[in-house]
Amino acid sequence: VSDPGDDGAAPEIAEEIMTGFRHTPRGVSARFTAAEAGIVRSLVGQVAELVGGPGAAEEPQDPGGREGAGETADGPLPDDLAAMLGSFGPAAPPEDPVLARLLPDAYGDDADAAGEFRRYTEPGLRSGKVAAAQTVLATLPAAGGRVRLSDGDAEAWLRSLNDVRLALGVVLRITEDYEHESGGLDPADPRQAYLHVYDFLTYLQETLVRALR
Amino acid sequence: MLDVHHKGRAVVSSGTRESMERDAEVLHGYGLWATVSHDR
Repeated sequence: VSDPGDDGAAPEIAEEIMTGFRHTPRGVSARFTAAEAGIVRSLVGQVAELVGGPGAAEEPQDPGGREGAGETADGPLPDDLAAMLGSFGPAAPPEDPVLARLLPDAYGDDADAAGEFRRYTEPGLRSGKVAAAQTVLATLPAAGGRVRLSDGDAEAWLRSLNDVRLALGVVLRITEDYEHESGGLDPADPRQAYLHVYDFLTYLQETLVRALR
Repeated sequence: MLDVHHKGRAVVSSGTRESMERDAEVLHGYGLWATVSHDR
């Protein structure tokens, strides 16, 4: 997620407020303008690349086209062992504050236990977040329009929207008192435009939760 | 769960270390900042 001070181009959201997600007999559904779809896709893609590395926001390729895991058989390690070693993550928490919030320490007062936990769980946590982001990108057309989600897709949307809100929350320094303070932000503050985006994502998330009940 | 709202944190699960770590992993998947601690 880029710093809001990076450039002057603030994202725009149509004045006309979208209706958010609704329950329909064929799954939850919402209509997006192209601008709204563009904002969601851009932020979801940025979080995916932050968590999963460059290329993580690209839609998964046809599995048939991938290099098979078995093709590394002439390496020094047997496939399954190499895969096992490769599946361990780092022990240290990310330095980037956004990543540190998305991949938090599980032990606040025990760095060794936190490191051990992270080595085993972080790769799966990262791949789950990337997969959720890819589901959003695959189900939200860049041109906008009507989006209809299965229950599984809707859960991925909830996870992904939440990740983007957490990421934006760190960048914008939003705390639990946000709702009480937001009226007082200087209109010239560059964070102002992104607060509208944050509110928009909150609205999407809230209507999606309600539509699923 | 109102503790989360008022105090910023709440105990949501207790048990063996293994099962607490499993719960924490699931909660991290939902973006919740779960931590494991030992009751003294």
